[in-house]
Amino acid sequence: MAEQILQDLQLFYPELALTATFLVAILADLIFRRTSVVVSGIVMIGFVVTAVLVLGQSDLHASIFSNMIAVDPFAHFFKLVIIISAILIVVFSLGSAELNSPNRKLGEYYALLAALTLGMMLMAGASNLLMMYLAIELSSISSYILSGYTKEAPDSSEASLKYVIYGALSSGLMLYGISIIYGLTGSLDIYTINQVLAEGDISGVALLIAGVLTLAGFGYKISAVPFHFWTPDVYEGAPITITAFLSVASKAGGFALMIRFFKVTFIDSSVVTLPEGAWATFEGFEWYHIIAAMSVLTMTLGNLVAIWQNNLKRLLAYSSIAHAGYMLMGVVVLNNQGLAAILIYFVVYLFMNLGAFYVVMLVANKTGSEDIEDYKGLGARAPFITVALAVFFISLTGLPPTAGFIGKLYLFAALLNSGWVWLAVVGALNSVISLYYYVRVFRNMYLRPADQPGPPLVFGKLQTAIVLVLLIPTILLGLYFTPLVQLAQASVKIFGTP
Amino acid sequence: MGVTILGIGVLTWITFLPVLGMVLVLLLPKERRDAIRWMALFFTGLQVVLAIIIFTKFDHGMAGINTEAGMQFVEKVPWIDVKSVAWFGRIHIEYLLGIDGLSVVMVLLTALISFVAVISSWTIDKAVKGYFALFLLLDTGMMGVFVALDFFLFYMFWEVVLLPMYFLIGVWGGPRREYAAIKFFLYTLFGSVLMLLAMIALYFSVTVYIDPAGVIHSVADATKMGMQGLEKIYTFNMMAMMDPGNYVPDSLLAGTNTSWRYIAYIALFVGFAIKVPLVPFHTWLPDAHVEAPTAISVILAGVLLKMGAYGMLRISFPMFPDAMIHYSWHLALLGVISMVYGALVAMAQTDFKKLIAYSSVSHMGVVVLGMASMNTPGMTGAVFQMFNHGIITAMLFLIVGVIYDRTHTRGLNEFGGLMNQMPKYAAVMTVAFFAALGLPGLSGFISEAFSLLGAFQTFRTLTIISVITIVLTAGYMLWVLQRVFLGSLPEKWKGLTDINGREMAMLAPLAAIVIFLGIYPSPVLDLMNSSMNFLAELLQHAGSATLMGLQ
Amino acid sequence: MELFDVVFYVFAFITVVSAFIVVFSRNIIYAAFSLLFTFFGVAGLYVLLNADFLAVTQILIYVGGILVLLLFGVMLTSNVINVDIKTGTIQTVPALVLVAIVAGSLSGLFYSTWKDVSAPETSVVTTTPALGKMLMTTYLLPFEIASVVLLVALIGATFIARRST
Repeated sequence: MAEQILQDLQLFYPELALTATFLVAILADLIFRRTSVVVSGIVMIGFVVTAVLVLGQSDLHASIFSNMIAVDPFAHFFKLVIIISAILIVVFSLGSAELNSPNRKLGEYYALLAALTLGMMLMAGASNLLMMYLAIELSSISSYILSGYTKEAPDSSEASLKYVIYGALSSGLMLYGISIIYGLTGSLDIYTINQVLAEGDISGVALLIAGVLTLAGFGYKISAVPFHFWTPDVYEGAPITITAFLSVASKAGGFALMIRFFKVTFIDSSVVTLPEGAWATFEGFEWYHIIAAMSVLTMTLGNLVAIWQNNLKRLLAYSSIAHAGYMLMGVVVLNNQGLAAILIYFVVYLFMNLGAFYVVMLVANKTGSEDIEDYKGLGARAPFITVALAVFFISLTGLPPTAGFIGKLYLFAALLNSGWVWLAVVGALNSVISLYYYVRVFRNMYLRPADQPGPPLVFGKLQTAIVLVLLIPTILLGLYFTPLVQLAQASVKIFGTP
Repeated sequence: MGVTILGIGVLTWITFLPVLGMVLVLLLPKERRDAIRWMALFFTGLQVVLAIIIFTKFDHGMAGINTEAGMQFVEKVPWIDVKSVAWFGRIHIEYLLGIDGLSVVMVLLTALISFVAVISSWTIDKAVKGYFALFLLLDTGMMGVFVALDFFLFYMFWEVVLLPMYFLIGVWGGPRREYAAIKFFLYTLFGSVLMLLAMIALYFSVTVYIDPAGVIHSVADATKMGMQGLEKIYTFNMMAMMDPGNYVPDSLLAGTNTSWRYIAYIALFVGFAIKVPLVPFHTWLPDAHVEAPTAISVILAGVLLKMGAYGMLRISFPMFPDAMIHYSWHLALLGVISMVYGALVAMAQTDFKKLIAYSSVSHMGVVVLGMASMNTPGMTGAVFQMFNHGIITAMLFLIVGVIYDRTHTRGLNEFGGLMNQMPKYAAVMTVAFFAALGLPGLSGFISEAFSLLGAFQTFRTLTIISVITIVLTAGYMLWVLQRVFLGSLPEKWKGLTDINGREMAMLAPLAAIVIFLGIYPSPVLDLMNSSMNFLAELLQHAGSATLMGLQ
Repeated sequence: MELFDVVFYVFAFITVVSAFIVVFSRNIIYAAFSLLFTFFGVAGLYVLLNADFLAVTQILIYVGGILVLLLFGVMLTSNVINVDIKTGTIQTVPALVLVAIVAGSLSGLFYSTWKDVSAPETSVVTTTPALGKMLMTTYLLPFEIASVVLLVALIGATFIARRST
């Protein structure tokens, strides 16, 4: 056993590095109480080391620590998405005026960022219900604190509290669901559960109830309707860096967890008549209908409510709900193509959504406002930044020649190729709706003059460079997406599934 | 094959020159307004030069339409190539440009109208740099739509047009510009997402074979070659999508006259009909036209509307001949409704621009009626009408622009007696209006006559009804001339000056083309003759095949 | 009814009744003390299920730790004893619907599975060594991660409690 654990540890280096980062950051915070630069530096280095270690893990197929964690291309992909966004978020945080107010100590902020990232990375690989729950809790608890980090802002504390309450409720539901699943199957290990289900004497109704309860936990992480209620308030109240991080990485972790859970647990590997890359669920467990309904509700509600928002962070919150809905469509089709489409979407979403949040942050740094009304006349005051924001929004809408289009294209392609025409139509119409609220921002930036003309906003070279780092892939991946597709296609392999 | 400059094909040049211009415009400081204007003019001028080169080198004998070999100036470069994995085939998308008799006319039109529109944009004073940058991007999008032969590429260009258009209307437009711009954007995006779904469905229904050298072979050819070393792929290649032999049995769009094919056809149709625009998808058009600045109205009417009709001819007709035949009567009916409705509404307008906008709806109805007839005269007439309407309506909008620049009003009832005040203006305007109402001897007459002639062979009753439009059009057009030029000159317009050199420079060439093609239409008709004949035959062949299938 | 059953029902009764008092009591001290009985009742149920280790930890941690902490918190907060806790009902109809759905599905769950439930083994073995072994082998990773979770919670608690200056 001990040798086995030592062996397994070798496949666990990225997570170990993150844990070490977290601990060292806490210690450093105690020693260098006055300057948080040291801690941010440590966390930055830790993240970069983790990223390097993650990159070194490509093409592994293993399950470690007694099937607690899977190390497979699928997890690898999500870990990459998470760690890249984590690095970007550290960079964002260094330049955030909201965070770097003179009286605030940021040591814990960066330390908790490391813990949050660790939680998400564990979500990407967890293959045991207990481990899944712990990973969710680790990331949740860290994000409760982080979203309330700017305590003096009234809506920040409110955000944190709402987050805690909804989080507690959904993790309670999930835990209850897990306990029922354990009661029914006698195992927490998803591979074993799959085998028990294959024997076929589990009551479908009982498992359905347990599954729906478990779904509450996943749905909360990806903010899918009807588990989305926390999202707008938390996204609005939290520091914008955390909002951005939650909208991308937390979703990535949630999706990874959910897809792994459904794919490993409910897939009947005895069906051999399927085309290559497709799979079938056990009879009586056709849950993809539930997910299809959830997807339609999520994107439609997200888009319709986004139309009425006046705060840009809140608007992006609803837009991110809608995007979760789009991505859920890829789960419904039950084949590798849908899975690859989700992965493609995630890469694209990483750049365009973080980009949008970053620009909103830069503008808020200068003007102190995230209100759409205050974007009036901004086009003339900050041409480069607003053009970048326009590109990110165009990409979020899904118009060519941006990367967002490729994401949508692959999702719709996966749906149409497996006969889900109605869902594709709903998704397509939703992207038309989404155009309306993104364009409201363009309208204010370019079409309407400012109420009181302000001076031009000047941004530093570094800030411009960061915008470019996000902007260039957003356009380039729309024009040449071969590497993106290759990466996604190579990453659909989930350990323990055919 | 074809013409290359610096090793790059002429079609790539003509499409991407404006983008190059855009980059240079963006590099210029925004205070140097004149430099920016001349830069834009230079690049659109180059485009016209290239268009003339294409015009002179174009081989009249090659039909194109559904064969790559029949296309001219073809450029083909692998663009996206993802190796196959166990569960998904190879993805191979080509950068494929080429033109045939159908598209060459549109290429000429686009180059010409863009050039004229730049001249007309000289009066734009607000954010000149942004304006011309967006304008040039728009130009690339439009040109790309007409030269792309790969559906994926086509769709990209199609969508690239939207955003610049939104801003050009929204920033530089009239008082209700915000509303007009977003309406345009939402309508066209709605159409294009349906088109996207139809495109994806087509993609998964059509396979071809690719050899190690990257050459695409149709299923029939591949069978002849014995499949040696060939790999089966899905494709966005438009010509492959036109070959019924390439459709995978049991795929969504396989077979003929299936309900999925009808649905896909309708999805495409809605996408194109919104652009045309056909009644009842037209409501964005009057708003957009009225609010847009003159040059953008010119582009909208001159080129953008043609994208819809072009799309039907290039994509819907050859890919869905069965559905096309099934719905041809409905299509013709919509065309006739557009003609009559557009003319009636135009008659009731007192806003000069709105009147022309509705006359556009009416004239595009003629195009659709001609297309729907599916015979050579009808379709030739339709394409020629597209060209003529592009030029004539461009003139009409420029004419409105001229008077609006001087008076800042478009109310028809506020004018009168301008004939003596602005004689040159009166002359040009008379040419344009007579061309628009279809006076023999001017280009509009020939194309309308062809269209109706063709339509009469297929849809007698409908065509007879549609002839009312000619009377209506004559009525409202002449009434406009009367209101503007005759009667007594109001006191406030005593100081109006006649058109200046710049305005003459943009109107005179167009007027010359209208008159020249009215007398001698062959230069344009010859361009498309083979292609239209071929397309008509293709449709008739498909029609008889369908009938045989039914029996 | 055997002795086992009698003992079970006694513990179950204590647990449920005291839990009701926790929820409905208007005096926070009463509520806190009733919680004591709830925890004891649950611990008793654990004993009946042969989960000896769990029962002991339940008493040690929940009764000895959390509850005492809770009481201290209540005592040290000024003027909390005499304050009536506001209780009231809003959104009755949606709540009823939700409760009906949840109750319905859970009882459905119970009836569809209760026949599969077998009585616990009667032989008394101590579970502590086995648990200890498992925590250090099979469940090593969750054990370690749980400690990270606790650390994060600890930091979070101090952060929230710290007076902002």
